[in-house]
Amino acid sequence: MTKEEQDKISNNTLSQTERTDSVIDRIGTGRSDIIPLLQELQAEFNYLPHEAIERIYERTEIDRAQLISVSTFYSQFRHIPLGKHLIKVCTGTACHVKGASNVYDAFIRQLNIEEGSVTTTDRMFSVEKIACLGCCTLAPVVQIDEKIYGHVMPGKVDEVIADFIENQTKKENGESQKTRRHTAGEVRLGMGSCCMASGSADIYKELQTASTQLGIEINIKPVGCVGVCNKVPLIDIINANGTIDRYPNVKAAEIKEILHHHFKPAGYLKRLKNSILGHIDTLHTDITWDNVVWKPEHERTGLISSFLHNQKHISTEGFGFLAPLNIDEYIAYGGFEALKKALTTPKEEIIATVLASGLRGRGGGGFPTGKKWEIVASVQNKHKYVICNGDEGDPGAFMDRMMLESYPFRVIEGMLIAAYAVGADKGIFYIRAEYPLAVERIKKALELCREHKLAGANIAESNFSLEISVFEGAGAFVCGEETALIASIEGDRGFPRQRPPYPAACGLNELPTLVNNVETLSQIAYIVKHGSENYRNVGTEKSKGTKVFALAGKISHGGLIEVPMGITLNQIIEDIGGGVEGGKKLKAVQIGGPSGGCIPADLCDSPVDFDALTQLGAMMGSGGLVVLSENDCMVDVARYFLSFTCDQSCGKCTFCRVGTRRMLDLLDKVCSGKATMTDIDLLEELALNVKRSSLCGLGKTAPNPVLTTLKYFRHEYEEHVKGVCKTGTCKDMIKYVITQDCIGCTRCAKACPVNAIPYTPYEIHTIDTEKCVLCGLCVEECSYDSVKKTGKKENITSPCKYS
Amino acid sequence: MQILINNHPVEVLEGETLIEVARRTGNNIPSLCYAKEAKHKSSCMVCAVKDCKSGQIIPSCTTLPVEGMQIDTESEEVRLTRTLSLELLLSDHRADCEAPCSMVCPNRLDVERILGYYDAGQYREAVEMLSAVFSLPEIACDTCKAPCEKACRRGSVDQPVSIRTIIRELSAMDGKASGDEKNIGYVKDKNLYQSRLGRFTDKEKEHLKATTVTTSRCLHCACSGREKCRLRLHSTEAGIKRSRYESSSTLPIEKIHINGDLLFEPAKCIRCGLCVYNSDNGFTFMGRGFKMGVVLPEENKANIKKNLAELCPTGAIYKQG
Repeated sequence: MTKEEQDKISNNTLSQTERTDSVIDRIGTGRSDIIPLLQELQAEFNYLPHEAIERIYERTEIDRAQLISVSTFYSQFRHIPLGKHLIKVCTGTACHVKGASNVYDAFIRQLNIEEGSVTTTDRMFSVEKIACLGCCTLAPVVQIDEKIYGHVMPGKVDEVIADFIENQTKKENGESQKTRRHTAGEVRLGMGSCCMASGSADIYKELQTASTQLGIEINIKPVGCVGVCNKVPLIDIINANGTIDRYPNVKAAEIKEILHHHFKPAGYLKRLKNSILGHIDTLHTDITWDNVVWKPEHERTGLISSFLHNQKHISTEGFGFLAPLNIDEYIAYGGFEALKKALTTPKEEIIATVLASGLRGRGGGGFPTGKKWEIVASVQNKHKYVICNGDEGDPGAFMDRMMLESYPFRVIEGMLIAAYAVGADKGIFYIRAEYPLAVERIKKALELCREHKLAGANIAESNFSLEISVFEGAGAFVCGEETALIASIEGDRGFPRQRPPYPAACGLNELPTLVNNVETLSQIAYIVKHGSENYRNVGTEKSKGTKVFALAGKISHGGLIEVPMGITLNQIIEDIGGGVEGGKKLKAVQIGGPSGGCIPADLCDSPVDFDALTQLGAMMGSGGLVVLSENDCMVDVARYFLSFTCDQSCGKCTFCRVGTRRMLDLLDKVCSGKATMTDIDLLEELALNVKRSSLCGLGKTAPNPVLTTLKYFRHEYEEHVKGVCKTGTCKDMIKYVITQDCIGCTRCAKACPVNAIPYTPYEIHTIDTEKCVLCGLCVEECSYDSVKKTGKKENITSPCKYS
Repeated sequence: MQILINNHPVEVLEGETLIEVARRTGNNIPSLCYAKEAKHKSSCMVCAVKDCKSGQIIPSCTTLPVEGMQIDTESEEVRLTRTLSLELLLSDHRADCEAPCSMVCPNRLDVERILGYYDAGQYREAVEMLSAVFSLPEIACDTCKAPCEKACRRGSVDQPVSIRTIIRELSAMDGKASGDEKNIGYVKDKNLYQSRLGRFTDKEKEHLKATTVTTSRCLHCACSGREKCRLRLHSTEAGIKRSRYESSSTLPIEKIHINGDLLFEPAKCIRCGLCVYNSDNGFTFMGRGFKMGVVLPEENKANIKKNLAELCPTGAIYKQG
């Protein structure tokens, strides 16, 4: 493209066709270019306009049949324009158990969106549900454009919208930037997606302005995820003597004081001025809010220590001090040593090492990684592919995102070693488009690697070359399945296909293809560097090494943890997670997302191990760990997961397409209290058959949440048949009532979005159950605890405060 | 290469899939989404067999045999899997095999067919049918309480078709039974599986009212592809009377003209994809999961070849007449 043409594009006066043409010129005209092409067009127009699509037919090999088939398969693509700002309400597992559907309803009500539409009449906002934003510890989470809001309750929706609009106006006013001469110290700040959601970006900005104002020259270093997502934003101050002071949950307003506490400004005059101002500041702040600086050290960080204790870091080695995109630092801490070692070792020996390490695929299935490498290596072909599977789609899992965001070089190193060992010449990172930060960081990291001769041709002066590209997944859970993933790169619907032939022999473009999960690749460097023996020492007999989990749900301290295999679930919940939130009783742990199952509290002393979990009817899955308390309804949890898989099923095979739908119908019936005991048997029979007769991993594991809850919590299903949901979760079986404690303050009446509570000051309020939509806002609003949730048939024993 | 099918050793020919080996050696395996010499992907699972070594249920239509394989094609377990997959497909299949009027006629007259002749102006054939069924065609339906009119689907749209009036009009015409087997006039076999269409939505009622232009006002709900329908055939063989799963199907009831005398009824489609894989820029999938449908964009209609009607395992694509 010439400069002239570029100017023309930025000119914004181009016609739709010209804009479409420029996208086509940039991406390509082949049938396999369809997904990137549609993604770029959507980025250009915010949706896929009819004219642009017609232009595609004219100019590319893509025909109408293919375009309809592909564009309606992936949930990313839109055929109708949305509002200016898109509100994405996360409905991941953690958000679901914390009431995400009520949040969604609240947005629809607040924005006065008409039934059947998702966009406001002024086209400012559109609301949509999204499978998972991967910020589970901040549940319920909502993302508006690029900004993520955590802990959004239905009653807070108006504040969120107001804050967003305010921020929008601020943004337009612009920012100023200044450079500093030399540094007096270092401040580290976590910049993962969760951290960003809790306001790390604001803290970062504040650190910059505060240090300039105070004249303190510090090095502000954004680092990867520390994993303590429940305590973010979290900053580490590196003192002159090398000791570290840690401040969790910092607020922007506290930054100045923290800096002042630790660093001396450069000039004398500034120091004097600051000491006076600082004093006033301190006095002021000390009184006005709960000040972090003056809390004793153990109180500040004791909790984090216990959270990090018991963990073992292999994939997340260097957490808290490695800057995600600083390649020199990564190298200084021993990065790419494993690669260099590998490049001087015979390929067979590397494969043997990986095989001996006992590493098993972390994507869910647990297939021995070394074995897979062996098969790909044994196929004779000049060209082979290595694909890093980063299509993490489980609602409630965000490990892969964190690793791609925080440790991009480690994953790249793992891929390079894998490619060298199996003889591949092309590498592809397949990353969900819902993870923009991960995509951006991997792209940046790859650029840096190329500059340092660590990717591309003749890597590290050897004769090994690997071209690595990034492919953005367009939103389909099934593409986590390797054959579906390959189909989507080829520009098809993500239909899994019958194996054999395995991708190892005949994969992408019919070439031998190695597909490894992000986490699997992130463990490779450690194994190669420290040897298989060292790795084998961690874990159980058949499951070696560590596993990264996303700990979320009803847990005191959720976050991202890496633990040695063999640790028990109780240890994770009690020792790392600090027990169930609010001192409630543990009911079950949902492990493995929609493919996994629910393990009841009394079996939580079982170790985390591929085979032990499978035996219990669950599976390791990709590592979502959602803690469920006595307030959670297990039938509802099963229905939630099934509605997810049902929606994500590719639709090819009968048992998965129709079978999961019929299971969902039956569960809906159970949750509405209309089911009979026969329906439960019918459900179980169907679930067993779907599990046995489905063709791919999605269908084979989709019934697990139903089967495990039927196995361990059958009594809850039976209660539902009798019309009772003891936890008060299933809306068809509950109602809200106001007790005699009511003082008639009218707050509930004002809060009620559907006017189900008449405005009757100084009288005991009443709720019209016909109008009531069971949103729970009145419960939140009442200061006298007089709004109660009760069963339509029987009194519910559990507390009703919105949880 | 040799494998065991139901414990009998059989020889595998080059390139054969399991279903081909089994059928060639006399083992009957039903199938829907598979067609010899055509592009196909396993989807229906009606051809399920069991791999005895791994204990897995696999689709025989795409699985390639490997040395020493032991396949079971006829055990109770395999049969139940096939039956269940048929039941699931039937729960998402909005169609009448036979028209309800024909099913309830005490004289077993195929009412829908006679109305078909009437609408096409083929009065001779219609009268022939009457003479074959009734010993006194002149007074054919005069004494009947007409359960056909009560069962008529048009009745749920607005008013039922006035079947008796039409029969009376026909019986006044001259004609004789030709003795032609093809035109015997009865519903052939009531023991075959009967799919039922269920209720029309309000939107469909409006659509039907506006688009039905037959003289008799008959909707012709009987399936025009029932003769070749393998879904019906295999469901009958499996002894299914009614799917145990409640239908929550939202497939639209409509008859879409493709080209020539080819028609497409999406409500009968089982999403096997044979028409998608075997047409070039013709039929295509839309959406995913349970809502996945097979659609034919207007612009692609000209690309459809006649042989797709034979390929379609149900009455979703058929030739008129």
